[in-house]
Amino acid sequence: MPKRLLELILFSTYAELRAERARSYLGLAWWVLDPALMMLTYWLVFDVFLHSGGPDYVPFLLIGLTLWQWMKSCMTHGGYAIWSNLVLIRQVRLPPLMFPVVAMLSDTVKFLCIFALLLVILWSVGYPPNIAYFALPPLFFVVFLFGAGIGFVIAAVVPLLPDLRFVIEQVLTAVMFLSGVVFSMASLPPPWNHVMALNPVNVIMDASRDILMHGLWPNWSALGKVSIISAAVCLVGMFVVMRLAPRYPKLAD
Amino acid sequence: MNDVLVELRNVGVAFNTQRRVADRRFWALEDVSLSLRRGERLGVIGRNGAGKSTLLRVIAGILTPDRGSVRRGPVSCQLLSLALGFTAHLSGRDNAVLSGLMLGLRRRDIDARLPAIREFSELGDFFEQPIATYSSGMTMRLAFSVAIQVEPDVLLIDEVLAVGDAEFQQKSGAALRKRMGEGHTVVLVSHDESQIAALCDRVLWVEHGKSVREGARDEVFAAYRGDLHLNGAAA
Repeated sequence: MPKRLLELILFSTYAELRAERARSYLGLAWWVLDPALMMLTYWLVFDVFLHSGGPDYVPFLLIGLTLWQWMKSCMTHGGYAIWSNLVLIRQVRLPPLMFPVVAMLSDTVKFLCIFALLLVILWSVGYPPNIAYFALPPLFFVVFLFGAGIGFVIAAVVPLLPDLRFVIEQVLTAVMFLSGVVFSMASLPPPWNHVMALNPVNVIMDASRDILMHGLWPNWSALGKVSIISAAVCLVGMFVVMRLAPRYPKLAD
Repeated sequence: MNDVLVELRNVGVAFNTQRRVADRRFWALEDVSLSLRRGERLGVIGRNGAGKSTLLRVIAGILTPDRGSVRRGPVSCQLLSLALGFTAHLSGRDNAVLSGLMLGLRRRDIDARLPAIREFSELGDFFEQPIATYSSGMTMRLAFSVAIQVEPDVLLIDEVLAVGDAEFQQKSGAALRKRMGEGHTVVLVSHDESQIAALCDRVLWVEHGKSVREGARDEVFAAYRGDLHLNGAAA
């Protein structure tokens, strides 16, 4: 990759974060307030009103939503990035892949801030740091690869079919509820529990809770499979973006 | 002096007219050929909708032709785009860096030119303020000051010879003419015949997406004016 492109990607990421901070009165605080409000909603619904949470529900939910939000923002924010930059793409010759990459990097910076806060909360409610924390970097790598893979595929097709956006939001909500993000999939009867074991999001959720709540090493073979699938999806997405690249400058936004 | 930097042969570019399931294609360029040599200043003339701007975007490598071929040497071709990537909530300085990177400069080159950009734009302390606080004239001054710093092998200009108020128009026009006079390879699209006559040595005449004539300035202008006169008389 030319150094100029790397400089452009890094500065664009900085610019995006900086502009987002400047757009609202509370600025950076929203990075944390926004997910916190969402977590509060799920906690009220599932724990307080439905009593379906169980004893460890608060840390379970916080971990699930923090990781899911990161994945989801890579998929949607990254996924809509080419479409939302069509004005620029019509004016200057830039590799279209840089737009989803910038969106995903800025979401990753935000995630890391939220995750730091999550750790503080976990430590203060009785889940201290443990040796399995060393598994977090590879876990994050897999999560990013998975989110980026789906994000690239969405990014490739949304400029040509903007109507897809309405479907994508609904599909992702369904995926969230079916992947152990807000409630556990472990209690499902067979054969559904076996089906769920193949769901990459569910595998990621289990791995992150094993590490952060139970001090256990994640299921490496399941994570390995997810990373292979994710890498394949990433390659397909990048290939489709590059194949469709000549069409983007001709599209109206 | 004679080496060809960019060559277009029978280039056509089609757009979809609407985002609909059954759609018709519209050929903005049908059949354009040209060759651009190092150091040449080529003017492109033609009536509204002739395909001049589309042609520039093909030369810049933004648009890929649907038919015909483009041969480009190992050179950078950059469209002089004003306010490229400008973001309202970023400072003038940050926008200058972002825009410069998008226009093909390296970070260290932009950093070295920031004082010149600040000076030329006459923004003073506003340079550090978000451009959301700027008037449109101030934004255009910053945009031009950044764009004029870019030094591609082939500079492509689409009707932006002067921006801002009368005083800045003179200054920006002069800066651009100076840039064009420095021996750079330039393609200039303009409605203003006098501008092309003053700045270009060769002219390409485009009509309805087809190249009608390419050659020495005076020769093409004579043919173009003759055609305008004929059409005017017919109407």
